Amino acid sequence: MEKLQKKWGTIVLFLLPGLILYTGWVLFPIVQGVILSTYRWVTISKKVFVGIENYIDIFNDKYFWISLKNTLWFMLGTGVFQITFGFILGYFLYLQLRAYRFFKTVYFMPTVLMTVAVGFIWGYIYSPAFGLLKPFMEAIGLGQYYFPPLADKRTALFFLIIAQAWHSCGIQIMLFHAGFMNMPEEVIEMASIDGASGWKMMYHMIIPLSWGVTKTVIILQLTGALRVFDLVFIMTGGGPNHATEVLPMYMFAQAFQKFKIGHGSVVAVVIFVLSMGLTAFLRKVMGSDDLQY
Amino acid sequence: MDARAIMTMEMDKGSSSQLRVSRKARILIYFTMILAAVIVLLPLIWLLFSSLKTQEELTRNVWSFPRKLYIQNYINAWTRGRMGTYMLNSLISTIVTIIGTIVTSVTLSFILARFNFKLNRLIFYIVIAGMMIPIHSAVIPLYIMHKDLNLQNNLIALGITYAAFRISPSVFILESFMRSIPKELEESAILDGCGIWRLFTTIIVPLSKDAIISIVILAVLACWNELLVSMLLISEPFIKTLPIGLMGFITEYNAEYTQLCAGLVVACLPSLLFYAILQEKIIKGMTVGALKG
Repeated sequence: MEKLQKKWGTIVLFLLPGLILYTGWVLFPIVQGVILSTYRWVTISKKVFVGIENYIDIFNDKYFWISLKNTLWFMLGTGVFQITFGFILGYFLYLQLRAYRFFKTVYFMPTVLMTVAVGFIWGYIYSPAFGLLKPFMEAIGLGQYYFPPLADKRTALFFLIIAQAWHSCGIQIMLFHAGFMNMPEEVIEMASIDGASGWKMMYHMIIPLSWGVTKTVIILQLTGALRVFDLVFIMTGGGPNHATEVLPMYMFAQAFQKFKIGHGSVVAVVIFVLSMGLTAFLRKVMGSDDLQY
Repeated sequence: MDARAIMTMEMDKGSSSQLRVSRKARILIYFTMILAAVIVLLPLIWLLFSSLKTQEELTRNVWSFPRKLYIQNYINAWTRGRMGTYMLNSLISTIVTIIGTIVTSVTLSFILARFNFKLNRLIFYIVIAGMMIPIHSAVIPLYIMHKDLNLQNNLIALGITYAAFRISPSVFILESFMRSIPKELEESAILDGCGIWRLFTTIIVPLSKDAIISIVILAVLACWNELLVSMLLISEPFIKTLPIGLMGFITEYNAEYTQLCAGLVVACLPSLLFYAILQEKIIKGMTVGALKG
């Protein structure tokens, strides 16, 4: 090995493709984005340096704060749904009762579907024209309470969260399942022989033993919520009246619908900082020793 | 847990688990699992049924089976929706992404995992920090960059952009996997006069096959479904990828529901086929991807 260590030429040659692509297409755009956030476009091709003016504009924009609030609600909503169902169904799969493989296959299916397709499917489900929701409510006798949920600003975000949970809960189920499968078998067996069962087993054995995975799922879930765009864009486009406008959607609207590139870049910087900050914060708070980032 | 541990982890233990489940609990568990499966499958079955009905049949009753399989919807969706073209375009950019990801990540991970030099850890942490960067915070500069370089409407450029964002998660998985390959193997190969290149191709790559398959699967799922970047980089009708093509088709024919449902079924088919063939590998890949990153 020592002999090869000295072959610098070859080593650099192996490093180059990855480092060039990563620097040019990931790191450079991030830096570029910070620079762009300090400019204002006078015309489509002429821009002037304005310092922190764009930041002041954005932080004074009430819709920015609404989008931040929506993002937090989205985070919380999908988190509660997906972590709860992920834990419960992941645990049921772990019990390996008869036909559990079938359920496993089914639960994971929505996660591979294209988000755009999922967005349209759920948009139709909610729609009054031919959706499932209306006839379903009629079937259980609640027909008169039906209204198009995505058109109402009080309910739109919640129904978006349901669609998102349907789409990606399979990942959480599989992660919990993997986590449970990875628990030391002997310990579970011992506890089982000692007479631990049901809730006691759950509380004293399962939850502590799978805490590593649970932490990971929580971190993934919360940071992932900062990245949701496709589903919102397809189902509501941020409306009605900004009720479902999450941060990436707000950024998109600023940069590519209002053509305020500088303002959009400010939001991009905010998303970047939040993502980094949230990950670092959660790792610290939860003492994540399982993952060596 | 390192990547190899997760990759080789037993997902099925064959026998049923150690935990005793009482009869009453069993009923409750099955009830929950079946209910969840219905919630997952119902929208998909409804979509399939709707796609085989005539418009008039659909408005009459949403629940019913299609009386006669109305294939015309599919013919319309395929020809009007240009699904074949979009799929081919998505396939091209996906193949570029796969090649780009492999060429950059496998080489980079190999050097970082097997060689000691001063900058090794620094490079590693800078590269994996990219996992915390949402692609959203880079899209504005990426958009401007592609416009300036005249790389808009270029599927290869799109695939390369995707590949760049796959480097961080891929290196994270591969590096830890390659690190766990025993040193003895390569020591003896080097004694036989094996150089870096041969060491790489005859020992490291074959032994990392499972991890490479995982990063490829993750890359395919990520880029096949991606909307935001492709929407910004591609605008010409015949170069559109499946997600944006599907979006255009649906907005264009937004009142012909049954035909839209057929389009959605067609758009979902490649993902479902992919899932049907590679189910275990996909679940494992996504698990390792999440638990490792």
